[in-house]
Amino acid sequence: MRVNADSTLFDRLVSVRAIYWVVTVALGAAVLNGGCRRATPNQVVVYTSVDQVFSEPVFRTFERRGTQIRSLFDTEETKSTGVLNRLLTEAPNPQADVFWSGDPMRALVLVEKGLVERYIAPNASAIPEQFRAADGAWTGFAARARVILVNRNRVATGDAPRSIRDLASPQFKGQCAMANPLYGTTTMHVAALFAAWGDADAKAFLQAVKSNGVRIASSNGEVKRLVASGEAAIGLTDTDDAHEALEAKAPVDVVWPDQEGLGTLVMPTVVVLVKGGPHPDAGRRLIDFLLSAEVERRMAEKAAHMPLRGDVTVPGVRRIAEVRAMQVDYQRVAAEMQRIQPWLRDWVGL
Amino acid sequence: MRVAGGRAESLSLAAAGAVVALLVVVPLVAVATRADTSSLGVLTQGRAWVLLGRSIVLATSVTVGALVIGIPCGAVFARARVPALRSLFALHLAPVFLPPFFAALGWFHLFGARASGSSVLFSPAGAWAVLTFAFAPIVTGLTAIGIRALDPSLEEAARLVARPWRVVTRILVPAAGRQIAIGGLIVFALTLGELGAPMFLRVDVYPAAVFARLGGMDLQLGEAAVLSLPIVALAALLVAGEARLFGRSHAGALTLRDRARESLDLGPGAHALAIAAALVSMTPLLVLAGHGMREVGRVGEWLGSSIANGLLASLATATVATLGGLGLGHALGRGRWMARIVTTALLFGFFVPSAVLGVGIVAAWNRPSTEVVYGSAGILVLAFLARYSWLSIRVIAAFVAQRSSTYEEAAAVAGAGYFRRLARVVAPMERRGLVLAFGLTLVFCLRDLETAVLLYPPGGEPLTVRIFTLEANGPTRVVAALAVVHVAVTLAALLVVGWGFRGSRA
Repeated sequence: MRVNADSTLFDRLVSVRAIYWVVTVALGAAVLNGGCRRATPNQVVVYTSVDQVFSEPVFRTFERRGTQIRSLFDTEETKSTGVLNRLLTEAPNPQADVFWSGDPMRALVLVEKGLVERYIAPNASAIPEQFRAADGAWTGFAARARVILVNRNRVATGDAPRSIRDLASPQFKGQCAMANPLYGTTTMHVAALFAAWGDADAKAFLQAVKSNGVRIASSNGEVKRLVASGEAAIGLTDTDDAHEALEAKAPVDVVWPDQEGLGTLVMPTVVVLVKGGPHPDAGRRLIDFLLSAEVERRMAEKAAHMPLRGDVTVPGVRRIAEVRAMQVDYQRVAAEMQRIQPWLRDWVGL
Repeated sequence: MRVAGGRAESLSLAAAGAVVALLVVVPLVAVATRADTSSLGVLTQGRAWVLLGRSIVLATSVTVGALVIGIPCGAVFARARVPALRSLFALHLAPVFLPPFFAALGWFHLFGARASGSSVLFSPAGAWAVLTFAFAPIVTGLTAIGIRALDPSLEEAARLVARPWRVVTRILVPAAGRQIAIGGLIVFALTLGELGAPMFLRVDVYPAAVFARLGGMDLQLGEAAVLSLPIVALAALLVAGEARLFGRSHAGALTLRDRARESLDLGPGAHALAIAAALVSMTPLLVLAGHGMREVGRVGEWLGSSIANGLLASLATATVATLGGLGLGHALGRGRWMARIVTTALLFGFFVPSAVLGVGIVAAWNRPSTEVVYGSAGILVLAFLARYSWLSIRVIAAFVAQRSSTYEEAAAVAGAGYFRRLARVVAPMERRGLVLAFGLTLVFCLRDLETAVLLYPPGGEPLTVRIFTLEANGPTRVVAALAVVHVAVTLAALLVVGWGFRGSRA
């Protein structure tokens, strides 16, 4: 296009030639952005459902050791389609090297479908046996637990719940909150109850909770907010959310439920090596780093995750030995989780 | 005389059709093939229809609310004599360019932290209010465009015998009826597909039922595909409605004639309305800004490369959509049937739930042979093109349809081929349309959350996604500050496009 003397700067900017160069540069940059990264050997691709606010600083520390990390975040709170389903959809052509799951269940789904490469990290031996697979299919560390958050202004100390069953108690009718059990750690908690109590008892309990007017929140973080603000008297949530409420000086107490009976559900975060990932060696290096005492300590300090290693102690954070943990066969709970999904969708109304 | 398209145009349209098939049809077929007969059972369950009914009620009520707010606001912003009218208009339009989830976050910081406010906000009424205020500016903008596109002589004749408000209600608004109806259709479609804001506000909507099959522990692609069918059927109805409204003429659809004319004195109420409209639009954004102000210094820690990621993918998409839209929009504006088919396919890309389209794109494009695309920002560009290129084509078509084909005929007689006419005649004459198409596509890509969150390459998330994932357990003030940064980036992009638009009038 010819530009005459009267043409504005804009005329020049939108000339066909300019558009051509914009296209060329933009597309070239986009392609190089991906292509070069893919070709770089000293990098690792990690998918994680551990909250970005906690996991990203860990990745940055690892990067300072010389391996670039390309990360894909998702949390159970965000309800995005989820890294698990992306990993499943990508299975014919894996993109990730490592999956760091916020709970054992998602990782076990990958194990069950044969999508993980077995790897026994040298420092995995410091993790108790019940939190790792003997064959190296998965390794747990930095655990969370399911706790009941209680608003002190609404519940007297002596009236505080002691068991998960108190969510169905008339004492708390219309005053309880829990996250949507279709997503995140609440799914695992419900599945663990199905595994422990059997279908009939677990379904009766959940129906009783529903009849008791439980408020279904969009996430565990939302449960924390509801209890902290006093909109709900009690709520079922994770230790990291409870920790945030305590850090914010909210008027809340944390109850570790069923310490005299069933025990509290403990959920390690779990790391697996993805089978057929593009950078397996770097993936192994990242797993070694994640299973180090340094990372467990950091996760305990920043997110109140319970250290599973015996050599990590952080003031104010319970260690696994100090808790009566629910006896859980994670493999069975993973199977239960998938089995009960249609029933849960009915229960939620979706 | 109609300029013959010729073989080159037919081949180009066929090629465009093939590209659109790759972008939209193949992914949707990839999802549909996962549906077996057992998946169909999900549609026999009453709760699916209850949710669909609830979503239709929400979409209808939001559309009504947006029309009630948008029509008078559009009239005022188009024709009233009000100080700082353009600035107030720009402020009122701001929410259009942001995901409604951000607005919900802003209203939450204002009301939701208190128990009393929370009970209203976290309810169907709260969702209605948030979405109505977020989408009403779409109706405002299209109403204003419609009114401004009206032949001034009609208005001048009316002013001789009627008071200003009567001119507005009896002449201007009815004359902009087509644009208003299109605005209503867009608001209806956007509300029907919206997931983030209702989910945040704990309101169950139909897309959540689709999403529960994709985001839960058991991936139920078949059921998700089957549940998408009613949405596709609704989309087809909307497509038919859109075709009926626009027809072939596209008359005044998106043009800005902007011929000088005297503003109307609509009284002090008009000023109050303009200020109120700007305030309501800006309130959630200002609240976010206030909330995040103390953490602005920490924003750098959490931004990463997200701004560049989003801008790169959005710029590339807008550029390709505008260039491709030139050919397709031209053909559509000139009434070519092939262009109508291709554009209809793209409209499905715009309406189908992004989760379904996204899963289909993964299934279709994650292959070793397409690694360079799937493993890069290229996959975002493809997804954005599938979703938003309909907008650019429609805009360009409206501009082309407004102009006589005389110049093209003359060029054809002089021996200029199809591509030469496009490059040397159509493109220079429709620069304003190209810039507007580029700008609209750019901002829709920048505001996108639900498509990008499914497909972004590792390490390549745009800012909207980063804000969304950090919202869970992230420092709330930092999240608010990031949202403000996103607003600033979008407004900067808009300013550049606006500057270009002004330049193109010269």
